[in-house]
Amino acid sequence: MGTEIVAMLLAGGKGTRLEALTKKIAKPAVSYGGKYRIIDFPLSNCAHSGIDTVGVLTQYESVFLNTYIGNGEKWGLNGVRSLTATLPPRQTEDGASWYKGTADAIFQNLDFLDSMKPEYVLILSGDHIYKMNYRAMLNHHQQMNADLSVAVIEVPSSETSRFGMITIKDNGIIDKFEEKPTITKAKLASMGIYIFNFKTLKQVLIEDSHDEQSEHDFGKNIIQKLIMNKKKLIAYAFAGYWRDVGTIQSLWEANMDLLNPTIANEIFDDHLKVFSENINSVPQYIGSTALVTQSRINQGAIILGKVHKSIVFNDALIEEGATVTESVIMPGAIVEVGAVVKKAIIAPNTRVESKRVIDGSKAIVLVGG
Amino acid sequence: MKKVMGLCNLYSPVSLGDLTSSRPIASTSFLGRYAMMDFTLSNFSNSDIDQVGILIKKEPRSILKHLGSTNVWNNNTKLGFELIMYDEKNANNPLYHHDLNNIKVNDWIIKREQPDFFVIAPVHIIYALDFRPVIAFHESHHQPITVLYTRIKDGKSQFLNGDILTVQQDRIIDMNVNQGLRSEVDVSMETYIISASMLDAMLSNAQSLSPFFGIKETIQALLKTTIVMGYRFSGYVKCFDSLSTYRLNSLELLNYTVRKKLFLPDLPIRTVTHDTPPAFYGVDANVSNSFIANGSHIEGTVINSVISRNVHIGKNARVENSIVFTDTVIGKDVMIKNVVIDKYVNISTMKKIQGTDEFPIYIKQGEKT
Repeated sequence: MGTEIVAMLLAGGKGTRLEALTKKIAKPAVSYGGKYRIIDFPLSNCAHSGIDTVGVLTQYESVFLNTYIGNGEKWGLNGVRSLTATLPPRQTEDGASWYKGTADAIFQNLDFLDSMKPEYVLILSGDHIYKMNYRAMLNHHQQMNADLSVAVIEVPSSETSRFGMITIKDNGIIDKFEEKPTITKAKLASMGIYIFNFKTLKQVLIEDSHDEQSEHDFGKNIIQKLIMNKKKLIAYAFAGYWRDVGTIQSLWEANMDLLNPTIANEIFDDHLKVFSENINSVPQYIGSTALVTQSRINQGAIILGKVHKSIVFNDALIEEGATVTESVIMPGAIVEVGAVVKKAIIAPNTRVESKRVIDGSKAIVLVGG
Repeated sequence: MKKVMGLCNLYSPVSLGDLTSSRPIASTSFLGRYAMMDFTLSNFSNSDIDQVGILIKKEPRSILKHLGSTNVWNNNTKLGFELIMYDEKNANNPLYHHDLNNIKVNDWIIKREQPDFFVIAPVHIIYALDFRPVIAFHESHHQPITVLYTRIKDGKSQFLNGDILTVQQDRIIDMNVNQGLRSEVDVSMETYIISASMLDAMLSNAQSLSPFFGIKETIQALLKTTIVMGYRFSGYVKCFDSLSTYRLNSLELLNYTVRKKLFLPDLPIRTVTHDTPPAFYGVDANVSNSFIANGSHIEGTVINSVISRNVHIGKNARVENSIVFTDTVIGKDVMIKNVVIDKYVNISTMKKIQGTDEFPIYIKQGEKT
């Protein structure tokens, strides 16, 4: 007997729009929320969904990400029936090649999937912040007897050009898929979370690999092929918190969202903890000259100045007389005496010199990286 | 290279008052983030001592829980271990229930591993130290026992009932109970380097005067016949032997110049992670000179205090010179001063609780008021 469901997490992207933050690390490894990396979210979701076999497809700056993922211990995915495998591009008998698209990345690892003998394959990305029970999505997929389930979320019409937009019939069956349309009647965006019957997936990936016109992308090519092949595609509606963190602006916004109690309660639900690295930091220290309000501060941080509506990571230092407002201070960053930081992201291990003023009121500023 | 085994010794008769009425000092929470034994285990870990026995006297539950799979401290997770050593046979007979008998009962591990030296260290005396230079000192003097000691200037109030040493040219001549008569004294850190053949002799009673003598009493008796070396450590050392010293030693570490003597960059203190989110500070939070652990939610005022994981401090509440253990709730408008509050306490109706520096008030685990 094989594994019921295997998760394949696409973590190979650079995330160019995160500018200097992804100069040396891949997007899924970017810091978020005071103590996490983006990839902690889908991996913790897998853990809480009882999905214990996970392949992580890495490509851009894969060494750090592979090391971080390790054997999956940080998320408890290293138990007796668990397997966490990092899957960077590799050399085979047929030669060596990079992953040419999301679908090609899975195609190149069909042998890995074959060895697991799964009935279902869950495709995830390392680009979003959300809590989701994939097991519930699988149950729905099974009840609907679908070939492919696509998780969808409602988005405002102004944002349709950022997403793959989906039109459904009354029974949830997907009628139409449009890739990043500027004008559409569709309201549901694909979240890039798919559950495939493995047989269907394997068949369509092989078909796609022979298609020279294809960009080997799940959104652009695979879903269209399955619609053309008259497969049963269904939408799985998700109504929780879900944010793309692909730009400096959206990464900042998603951090600020954690200061909203409703969102924080969902993301930091004590029964569905987000697992992460165990950092050997001392407890956070708030000094007698400090004032911290409406903020989240992580262990190891030292606050001697004013912090308001901000997220401060481990081992960051806010010196006396410094003011940090509506900002994200990443691990090991230092805001020196008298500096003023407003609406900014300070990259890991960056120093904001004494009395420097950073104001991102017009557009969120990234400092360092 | 010589082989060294660490023994984490939980046999000290000292207590932290009510705080340790139902748990050993070893697993007692410290600075909102650590267990006391983390310091001993981290010292072994930082000294490349991967094979460690834990001499448990009683109440093993919370120790086993904290140790978990123990990979937090081990370098090689297969070769290294934190072995539970327990003396069931003598557990109910106080005369025979001592550390030497525990080692005797569990001597199979010594026979299997055959270390050249043992480092035996307590959990109620806290310091950060690399044992390797001490072991080199021990080896170079070719004597069977080395006792670590430190010189204190507050012997009238610290290390009371500890061991005052008389040291001449690195040799320990005498060992007496500290009755608080002198300020400047050399006190034992109750940390011993013992060569294998000597420990063997101590275990076989060949070097012991009485079957009721533990390690400390035996070394004291040996001073007449054996050369016992003293190694003076001049770093930060504190003895925790009452509720009052526990509170004052904890609060003293809020001072940065004190703190940086214990938390040294090269000697990280490792502990287990609970995956709690960064602490949250509300709109009216006012925190000053305090340690705040992750998972906490602060709406009120906190001054000169240690706040542990998942503590909730309500609006207009005021916590001063106090230590609050995990999962405790301080309700709105409640005033707390000079109090040590154990886990899972909820204070909401009683609006004012105040102890003194010398006699802090202790509130038991699980109390609701």
